[in-house]
Amino acid sequence: MGGAQARASKRFMWVCMAPVIVFLIVVSLAPTIVAIIDSLRELSLTVFTKRGAFIGLENYRELLSEDTKFFTAIWKTVIFVAVVVPFEFVFGLTIALYINHEFAGRRLLITLLMLPTMIAPVVVGMMWRYLLMPSFGLVTYYLQQMGFLAETTIFSDEVTAFAALMIIDIWEWTPFMMLIMLAGLTAMPEEPIEAAHLDGANAWQVLWHVQLSFLRPLIVFAVMFRAIEASKVFDTIYILTGGGPGNATETIAVFAFRTTFIKWDLGYGAAICLVLAFFSLVVAALFFKVSNRAQEQ
Amino acid sequence: MKRRHNPYLWSIPLGLLLVVILIPYVWIVLASLKERSDLLTTPPRWIFDLTFENYRQILSEKNFDTYLVNSLIIGFCSTALAVTVGTLAAYAFSRFKVPAGNHIFFYILATRLGPPVAYALPMYLVFFKLGLLNLQAGVILAHATFNLVLVVWMMKSFFDDIPREIEEAAYLDGCSPFQVFRMISLPLTYPGLVTVAIFVLIFSWNELLFALILSAGEMRTLTVMIPSLVLHTGTLWGQVAAASVVQSLPVLVFTFFIQKHLVRGLTFGAVKG
Repeated sequence: MGGAQARASKRFMWVCMAPVIVFLIVVSLAPTIVAIIDSLRELSLTVFTKRGAFIGLENYRELLSEDTKFFTAIWKTVIFVAVVVPFEFVFGLTIALYINHEFAGRRLLITLLMLPTMIAPVVVGMMWRYLLMPSFGLVTYYLQQMGFLAETTIFSDEVTAFAALMIIDIWEWTPFMMLIMLAGLTAMPEEPIEAAHLDGANAWQVLWHVQLSFLRPLIVFAVMFRAIEASKVFDTIYILTGGGPGNATETIAVFAFRTTFIKWDLGYGAAICLVLAFFSLVVAALFFKVSNRAQEQ
Repeated sequence: MKRRHNPYLWSIPLGLLLVVILIPYVWIVLASLKERSDLLTTPPRWIFDLTFENYRQILSEKNFDTYLVNSLIIGFCSTALAVTVGTLAAYAFSRFKVPAGNHIFFYILATRLGPPVAYALPMYLVFFKLGLLNLQAGVILAHATFNLVLVVWMMKSFFDDIPREIEEAAYLDGCSPFQVFRMISLPLTYPGLVTVAIFVLIFSWNELLFALILSAGEMRTLTVMIPSLVLHTGTLWGQVAAASVVQSLPVLVFTFFIQKHLVRGLTFGAVKG
């Protein structure tokens, strides 16, 4: 390449990058700066006395040392993620292994199986609200007929409400896991499996030592991806319980939303959001490494 | 795999799985076609008289036609914005050495990995101060932002797939970098570009939180308005069901067409599939 062409390339590179840089400054950097400033103030739209005086790091101090609801919400989120992701992974992998060969109607089948993941979480939430309605709900009715469920309301009990939200999440996201695992299995060469069979390995040994070890980078990626997404769960909880009863199902996103947009404590809310954003930067850095490795594979 | 099995025996668990996955949705589709008296019954009613009254009611009485149009406007505008900005950036990342490229790339990723509420409030504060809250601009910008990472990552992987020799031949023929991009590389990614656009459209169409926070009144979207049909005085489940079907059916149709790239889209281009 000549010097003139190198200059032309450089100029064109900046033409390509300029829009995204301007865009990120407007929608991301500027709001972050505003949020940092507001997080140092007491700013509430409902409490008359809190009109924007600067209070230094008071919001952060209160959040990190006094707000037990914040830590409860983190704990609930950790439990939620730790329960749903392993189930989604095991179910997803099992289904993927089961349909990992050519057959008529495979494309349509996969589309149908993907339904829970593709439709809006709002619709998922409303759908299950209807299915789990006391006595009239389809699922409630048949569960009661089979004697599994007493005459209680699922979403008014702390334990059953949280369990129901987990089951719905597993229903919603198992297909996603299946799809990723299926992609990995399809990309896998046949020879190692055949060689293992010839060496007398049984199906379990092939699965464990050949297929799963081949899939390992992808599994790490998928589990991490889902864990990040699951930790942000909001829509279905907002629809089904709103965080209740009490704050039994209040995960971190629901907690941040309630504090900010129900109580309208914007300064405090800004502090919460920035703490969460900082956490996610750390997670993003980790994720960046893992996904680069998955891509190299 | 070549394991032999009985196709009938094999399809039984699959049938059960399909029941678990599809019945909830089928049930809501049926509910949308039921009269009020058939909706809340014990035992649940599988056979009933069909009616389209619920659809008529939400579209003509509950203004869902307006919200549907809002969702479409927001979807198409944010898609156009994210795809334009993101495709240009993806090309730069794929072909040139961008200064601090890794940092910018990482920053774009971070905007999608954090909880949306953490990004929605800062945006809210800015729009609140600028008095832009009752415009669709806020939601459009927000959706374009969180979809940017998808466009950049996916389009970069499509550009990476194009052999460099094709571009080099064009340079030798005297094309400028812009001409090479516009006339050679971009057209080669058109099928991928359409897929990306459909994904972005679906994600915007399905999104709740930003739309909930950054829009008000007549500007609200379908996803925000469906929960509003739940009332303390009793939910009109027929209308909820009809609105849900209107919202979700187009998504299912599109899913079938972009199935080939579903993995790539759902993992932001990280898994090729």
